[in-house]
Amino acid sequence: MPATSKTAAQVLELERYKHGFITDIDQDVAPRGLTEETVRFISAKKDEPDWMLAWRLEAFARWRALEEPNWARVDYPPIDYQDIHYYAAPRAGEGPKSLDEVDPELLATYAKLGIPLSEQAVLAGVEGAPRYAVDAVFDSVSVVTTFKAELAAVGVIFCPMSEAIREHGDLVRQYLGSVVPVSDNYFACLNSAVFSDGSFVYVPPGVRCPMELSTYFRINAEKSGQFERTLIIADRGSYVSYLEGCTAPMRDENQLHAAVVELVALDDAEIKYSTVQNWYPGDAEGRGGIYNFVTKRADCRGARSKVSWTQVETGSAVTWKYPSCVLRGDHSTGEFYSIAITNNRQQADTGTKMIHLGAHTRSRIISKGISAGRSSSTYRGLVSAHPKAKGARNFTQCDSLLIGPHAAAHTTPYVEARNSGAQFEHEATTTRLSEEQLFYARQRGLTQEEAVQLLVNGFVKDVLQELPMEFAVEAQKLVAISLEGSVG
Amino acid sequence: MSLAQALLTGDPGYLPSRREEAWRWTDLRGLIRVLPPPAPAFCGDLPLASFAAPFPTEEVVIVDGQGPTGLDIPAGETRRISLRLINAAAGAGHVGRVRVSLEAGARAVLLQTHEALAGGYVGETQIDISLGDGARLERLVLADDREDAVSVTISDVRLARGAVFNDAVLTTGARRQRLETRLTHAAGESEARLLGLYRLAGRRHADLTSLIEHESPGSASDQLVKGTVDGQSRAVFQGRILVRPGADRTDARMGHHALVLSDTAEVDAKPELEIYADDVSCAHGNTVGTLDDEALFYLRQRGMSEARARAFLTEAYVSAVLDGITDQDLQTVARAWLAREAAP
Repeated sequence: MPATSKTAAQVLELERYKHGFITDIDQDVAPRGLTEETVRFISAKKDEPDWMLAWRLEAFARWRALEEPNWARVDYPPIDYQDIHYYAAPRAGEGPKSLDEVDPELLATYAKLGIPLSEQAVLAGVEGAPRYAVDAVFDSVSVVTTFKAELAAVGVIFCPMSEAIREHGDLVRQYLGSVVPVSDNYFACLNSAVFSDGSFVYVPPGVRCPMELSTYFRINAEKSGQFERTLIIADRGSYVSYLEGCTAPMRDENQLHAAVVELVALDDAEIKYSTVQNWYPGDAEGRGGIYNFVTKRADCRGARSKVSWTQVETGSAVTWKYPSCVLRGDHSTGEFYSIAITNNRQQADTGTKMIHLGAHTRSRIISKGISAGRSSSTYRGLVSAHPKAKGARNFTQCDSLLIGPHAAAHTTPYVEARNSGAQFEHEATTTRLSEEQLFYARQRGLTQEEAVQLLVNGFVKDVLQELPMEFAVEAQKLVAISLEGSVG
Repeated sequence: MSLAQALLTGDPGYLPSRREEAWRWTDLRGLIRVLPPPAPAFCGDLPLASFAAPFPTEEVVIVDGQGPTGLDIPAGETRRISLRLINAAAGAGHVGRVRVSLEAGARAVLLQTHEALAGGYVGETQIDISLGDGARLERLVLADDREDAVSVTISDVRLARGAVFNDAVLTTGARRQRLETRLTHAAGESEARLLGLYRLAGRRHADLTSLIEHESPGSASDQLVKGTVDGQSRAVFQGRILVRPGADRTDARMGHHALVLSDTAEVDAKPELEIYADDVSCAHGNTVGTLDDEALFYLRQRGMSEARARAFLTEAYVSAVLDGITDQDLQTVARAWLAREAAP
């Protein structure tokens, strides 16, 4: 392709994926490859205690004995785990004490992404919008966490994972790996060995976290993988709402993102976890993009606890992700609301697991999948009731929408009921956009693209309304952008 | 990996195990350590079929996998056939295969009974069914296996243009039992209805697995399976509808509904949709629940014993499946079978 038309194509692509820029910044990078040395290097970089290093090394030893899973309905060339940088961080001296000391390049990056890192800043254009605290993770390190002092005043700990390991070692030791065990699966095991940063949240008993907490993940470095680890503990009777967002530059290569998120809800606690996943999806021909292989699980350990997952998945070349709830406490509740949109050559295999262990546990699953272009989207889920889960209830609804003749949509739910008191309902539909509805909207003067957007937004409305308000607006725009070019 | 392969070679290494996705809930490798000897040739008199078809019919009998290999119905003819698959040798293994083909425009009603004269058998039977253009076949399967038997039955069905296949499978399970149907809409505008009903008790197990493939445009599939599990029994439903690229105007529905009547019984279900064409309308529904306390209370208030009331409600629950049988004689047979199973 001649240089000029290549540039033109890139500009077009940037318009579609506006987060695709690269930040040029001085970086500390671990050499490519993965050995025990890499694990020791990361641990040393983070100045970790011995127990943490031992934990990582054990995970690494186990990972070497595991095989990469291949049951998901996704297809990608083999990953060379020795060709990845497992650690990349903006070079810094002592670590910034305040925002003024953070590299201006980085601040500019977050400003460009629309993430308010200044505590005075509120969301642009939204008057009286609620404030929210941000932990910004850039490649392998957390660069800044806002509102820490204000949160600390009510006893909420919100800090980077690396800091938590140093400062709140007992809490981390008690809970880390208690929801997703080290060798739970191939990617979780890899993460346990090489995880770099992520967020740690602890909400003390009876505290309702005064603001939304959020983490913003950014992959920037070339040939690097991001392996963040997040741990959220809601102690008895507490409440916290947490949101994560993620973006990456546009590159021709595929980059690996293998995160682990663990949530623990004790008696009467509630955690609301929302994700707007917008990693670079690759170009229209399927070149580049992030492999998003993530393990997310919540343990509703306490009686009457509740965890609610909401996800808007628009990015990534390949997604492999099943945010789950282990409903251990009696009367605990799990919810999963998901929108997964795939376009061009994207592939998503995503869903949830609701494991009913306690009596009178309840769960609800609403999943909306949209496939356009030559993409493929799979809902995969498990609902199970163990013999002690008397009175367990589940309602599942999975709807898939197909746009265009080359898109694929699949539904693979597993249901396992092992007692007579459980009541499970599951329904699923797969259709294309209704010609009649499109015609009606066109007749009212909307263009084809606007009409599709309108119908799609109606299709996903049940999930969008579960998001915190200001993110719902952003997510709605994202839905429209993701489907651009899918109707012709 | 298949039971047939294991039986023919005598090597348990060929038995499907739960490590295979398609057999995750029906583990044969963990169950069978040593494969039984092949069944000897049958000699003796066969009993009359317990559910003889109430119509003048031709009878095809296969004993321990041995018997006629094919059944051909010429173009334009109409036939009523009773296909009896009989397990005669105790503790023996056998593999059988039979072909049922209907040429263009042929019509047939088929009553397929699985009968047991002795227990402890391990058998696999494959039935290859092909329907020519515009042919119609209605089949009723009564799978009466012994509680200590292992039995796998695979029906491979191919529908040509405009063919209609109406199928109902009724079962009480076995120690391990798999009733698998693979159906292909090969040339378009064909219709299939797959009905299933299971009543499991004791330590019985039944696995209803199906793969419905839409290869061509304008075909319809409608599947409804209902059942109950009691005691320590286990029901497995794995339904998969696959719509291949270009199979536009496909209309496919799948429903599976189960009642769990005891705390030690189990239902495992996996209703799958795999769709590669956009001009389609596909849906599935799956429910697992238990008897409605209020309805039970109402019936008991009217003087019914608890056992009677439960039997009454469960029979009502599953019998809706039988409404989908269009042939009146087959419907009568199916209702008689259910009445026998429902007798408290």
